[in-house]
Amino acid sequence: MEVLRLVVTGPVGAGKSTFVRSISEIQVVDTDRQATDETAQLKQKTTVALDFGRLKFNKDMVLHIYGTPGQTRFDFMWDLLIHKADAYILLVPADRPAELRNARVISNFMQQRTKAPMIVGFTHMDCPGAWGAKDMAIALGYGRVDIKRPPIIRVDPTNKSSVAQATIKLVEQFSQNLMLKR
Amino acid sequence: MINSEKLGHILQNFVAGLSEIQGAAIVTPDGLSLSSALPPGMDEERVAAMSAAMLSLGERIGSELSRGSIERVLIEGEQGYSILMDCGQDALLLVLAHKSAKQGILQLEIKRIVAELKLIFN
Repeated sequence: MEVLRLVVTGPVGAGKSTFVRSISEIQVVDTDRQATDETAQLKQKTTVALDFGRLKFNKDMVLHIYGTPGQTRFDFMWDLLIHKADAYILLVPADRPAELRNARVISNFMQQRTKAPMIVGFTHMDCPGAWGAKDMAIALGYGRVDIKRPPIIRVDPTNKSSVAQATIKLVEQFSQNLMLKR
Repeated sequence: MINSEKLGHILQNFVAGLSEIQGAAIVTPDGLSLSSALPPGMDEERVAAMSAAMLSLGERIGSELSRGSIERVLIEGEQGYSILMDCGQDALLLVLAHKSAKQGILQLEIKRIVAELKLIFN
């Protein structure tokens, strides 16, 4: 049985823990703690180490899905988790443009440490004040078509089928990358 | 209201009291520093986040693997120990001790400071 390690990353409140909970078929191992920093204005609890979920993808493949913390002070966890990632998704909340900068920080951090394929998932697209996908892409530095950019999708972490589609996309990306290497 | 001066005072006394104790920090469960007395060169913010991550994983192992509630997480390194203790709902304590520290004395000192801290936080 092949094990594929997927990492779900992104800034605070992007929907990483929810994503892992939506896709996992086991009870998710989480490390939620009461938020006391500025995160508390957004939500009560925050991930301080990791989320872990598991999904049997097909008869030959099991997915291990790891969610990272969002705050930069936990970047040692980003580092720990990304080194063993086979592919990762960067979730970016469209309704809080201030997080775009943090998303870029995380994306740079990951790219310095891994060559694993990445996809970008825009979340909270249906929330009031959400930016459009095009503006989001430009803000993330993916505006120019002549520069190779990762696939960008919309994902609703609370919706199982939306998360499933994102996961399939991620596995596809991994397989394509593998073929290119051969 | 938490008296941060008092917190700092307790921590300083604790670190000064035993030469084998090389540093200590009190942090929130979500990894923010409340007070610290760390060896030079250690980044307080990073130490706080790591402490919270480690204790949360330890506690998760405790519950998931039926070990009950966790007294402490101890990391034994070549150069010494890192010890993490819960101090109630709002704080946890990190202690850095030299390898030469006598375990009995160390545990006793930690027990004392944790009792003192719990009074503040509960």
